Amino acid sequence: MTRAQRSLYIWLGLAAVLIAFPLLAPVLPLQPTIGMDIPHRFAGPSAANWLGNDEYGRDVLSRIIWGARASLAVAFGSAFCAAVIGTILGLLGGYFRGITEVLAVRSTEIVICLPPLLLAMLVITILGAGVLTLTVALTILFVPNYTRVVYAATLQTGGLDFVKAQEAMGTHPLKILARTVLPNIVPPLLVQFSLTVASGILLESGLSFLGLGVVPPAPSWGLMIRAARAAMDQQPLLLLWPSLALAGTVLLLNVICDRLQDVLSPKTAARGGAAWLRRQIKRTPDAPAPEVPLLKIEDLSVGVALEQGSMGLTKGIAFEVKPGETMALVGESGSGKTLTGLAMTGLLPNALSVTGGHAWFRTEAGVVDLAALTEEEFGPLRGNDISMVFQDAAAALNPVHRIGDQLAEIIQCHRPMPKQQAEAEVVELLRKVGIPDPERRIRAYPFELSGGQRQRAMIAMAVANAPKLLIADEPTTALDPTIQAQILRLFAKLKEDNPGMGVIFVTHNLAVVKEIATHVSVMYAGQVVEQGTVEEVFADPRHPYTKALLASVPESDAERLESIPGTVPQPGAMPEGCRFAPRCGHAAAACAAPQPLLDTGEGRTTRCLRWADLWKDVA
Amino acid sequence: MLRYVALRVLIALVLVWLVSTLVFLVLHLVPGDPAELLLSAGNTAPDPEAVAQLRSQMGLDRPVLAQYAAYIADLTHLDFGVSLRDQNPIAPELALRLPRTLELILAAAVIASLIGVPLGTLAAMRDGGWSEKLVSLLASAALSTPVFVVGTTLVLVFAQWLGWISAGGYVPLAEDPLRHLSLLAMPAVTIALPLTAVMIRMTRASVLEVLEKDHVRTARAKGLARGPIIRRHVVRNALVPVITVLGLEMGTLIGGTVLVEYVFNWPGLSGYLVRAVEARDYPEVVGIVLVISFLFVLLNLLIDITYAVLDPRVKLAK
Repeated sequence: MTRAQRSLYIWLGLAAVLIAFPLLAPVLPLQPTIGMDIPHRFAGPSAANWLGNDEYGRDVLSRIIWGARASLAVAFGSAFCAAVIGTILGLLGGYFRGITEVLAVRSTEIVICLPPLLLAMLVITILGAGVLTLTVALTILFVPNYTRVVYAATLQTGGLDFVKAQEAMGTHPLKILARTVLPNIVPPLLVQFSLTVASGILLESGLSFLGLGVVPPAPSWGLMIRAARAAMDQQPLLLLWPSLALAGTVLLLNVICDRLQDVLSPKTAARGGAAWLRRQIKRTPDAPAPEVPLLKIEDLSVGVALEQGSMGLTKGIAFEVKPGETMALVGESGSGKTLTGLAMTGLLPNALSVTGGHAWFRTEAGVVDLAALTEEEFGPLRGNDISMVFQDAAAALNPVHRIGDQLAEIIQCHRPMPKQQAEAEVVELLRKVGIPDPERRIRAYPFELSGGQRQRAMIAMAVANAPKLLIADEPTTALDPTIQAQILRLFAKLKEDNPGMGVIFVTHNLAVVKEIATHVSVMYAGQVVEQGTVEEVFADPRHPYTKALLASVPESDAERLESIPGTVPQPGAMPEGCRFAPRCGHAAAACAAPQPLLDTGEGRTTRCLRWADLWKDVA
Repeated sequence: MLRYVALRVLIALVLVWLVSTLVFLVLHLVPGDPAELLLSAGNTAPDPEAVAQLRSQMGLDRPVLAQYAAYIADLTHLDFGVSLRDQNPIAPELALRLPRTLELILAAAVIASLIGVPLGTLAAMRDGGWSEKLVSLLASAALSTPVFVVGTTLVLVFAQWLGWISAGGYVPLAEDPLRHLSLLAMPAVTIALPLTAVMIRMTRASVLEVLEKDHVRTARAKGLARGPIIRRHVVRNALVPVITVLGLEMGTLIGGTVLVEYVFNWPGLSGYLVRAVEARDYPEVVGIVLVISFLFVLLNLLIDITYAVLDPRVKLAK
């Protein structure tokens, strides 16, 4: 039993105990609820009358228990009748569609246009007050709720394969509805039922309070509160008891409804909200800052925090980017290239964090460790010294703000200036990234632009403050090939305009690497396996994975297109030694030990200990 | 935008017509003779002469379709007929009382938004923390306590015990603005309470969802500070679904005014309605129910338009 289920059963048990009292009222040793006892009017709690006596000297406790019967009878009665009628209408409407749908579903929705209490009052005017009238009125009110829920669920279930299969086998529609569709819509029905019972109790007590519901002298919580209100300066306690009973019952029902929803649709999202909103402890650097030209990543690891400790996702990433260089991070999906980019800007998803290493970055104020900065310390750097281009521009742009405003925001945030001046700068930027008619486009919302234009706007945003380092996370992956080529040309042009800018280009596309990058880091299973200039690595790969990767690309010179056997190991199940060994044709006994990044000369590195015996003579 | 608004207005008009028809039908769909039903109390049969008189007075002796045509025709002139009790026309009374109810609803909606949105945002930002637990607990409690219990308790505490405010009543704004506002305070707060709870819950859920969105990461990547990110890129986006819920809750809100006006003796539509139902004055009840329903449709129309202003994508959708 899960925690959510246990919690639900505890609350259901409590509800069952409480419901037992009114159900057993006729056999409980309760005092009469109707007779008068004038000498004991407004008497406080006593041994004989635990909750005291009311304005006619009647026992309050027994009136509360008997009063619950009226509330529960009306609420459960109407919720049940409405459930039966609403379910039938919803099933028929959702399954047969067409005219049945209009008659069964749409017509009931008109009832929703009337505020609930008013329809009940309309019915009461015609039929007169009383328990039966209330039940009828509330049933009419609740039917559309059930119809809607069941209709939506039926539409969903009706489209499922097993229902289609039964139809194909010629099963009678009513049989399908009863046997297949109905059991599948039970969960939303249960939630709706607990909601309507709570709402029924509220409406019954409200109408009784107005004197339009249960007819006195029969006891009802609403009537008791009505009477207590008239006498509240004499005995305020009389107001307390029925109010407590009423609010407590509704609260109990609401809690049960919440727990029911927890059980039926367990929340997968981690609790705790956004990590970046929490207060962060400033970390003191555990190493002196080295002199770096722009960026130097040392032994950077990213891990995910789990209940049973943390699990490493990337391990010992190391590379360097000098001003003007373009470093491509290349590898299969899941190799950790995007995480590395996000770790450098402190934008890792909630449960993920940097677990070790440094990312030294040169700012005007000196060298800082990007891996140890707090959210506040990142503020002046992000969008100014370091900026990012994300893969999915449609999601990365805010849908409710105009493009121009979103761009002006990043400019004004780092360089305060009047709105007009920022706007003029935005127009210039958009023109620079090749968006036609920028004066008008700044008024457009993201959804009004094409995919390519959105990505251009995203890039314009990233270069708005002439950053020293631009991190582009698969900026062309979501685009079609002709647009991809245009965007790559745009990157090349921006590089010409700002020659000192270092770029980290995350991609899985080797052809893109060849076109845009000066240097490349090949990543595999959370590690860098090979590094060097693009030219040399492509001409003379020194890691079996790089070699295999190059051979698997249609654009390569390999005679035959090869695929790499096996799959990338899962995080948490990484091999102790070389992570590529299980898929490598050259694996030897020594590969079972952890592999360091070896310097192979000419500024190149590889994580293959056999590189020398495998390829030295070839090179 | 203009097309969108025109379409919404058209839909609202159709709804008004549908609701009017439904209200007309209720009387005729109930089994038994309407006039007899209206005059019967308990098990005693009504006086046949009175039944005949009521029938001709309400026009029930004419064919149903003719009654319907006359009813709709009258409605287009905003003619709601005359009261059965004193033969006074109903429309002027409605016109007098409608603004008072409207004032109550708007005051409650403003209070609920001003408290609910910030508290819900806070609860989402501190998800799992003690402040979130406290806010959620208060919201659950507020949602479970009926408005008439809250109202009566407020009267007991603030009027009877502390003597700070009068227990209820009404003074026109023009006559004494301060006293008007002090009398408005308790009923408005009472109606606002459950609505605030709904707003807190909705805002919390919505903000939590928006916080996970990519565009919030972009806002952080721009180097914006927490405040502007929360204001411009989280709450602004999170408001769209919250507004929808506000529309769905409008029915409960208007229902709440019936009870609250009664508790505080606020002379709006609802006190009038309770008296009309007690007296079983059908034309009066129909008039009030129609006006409140039209108000309901109108408020939903306003919400639809707000929705389009908040989320530009809505205008394109049908």
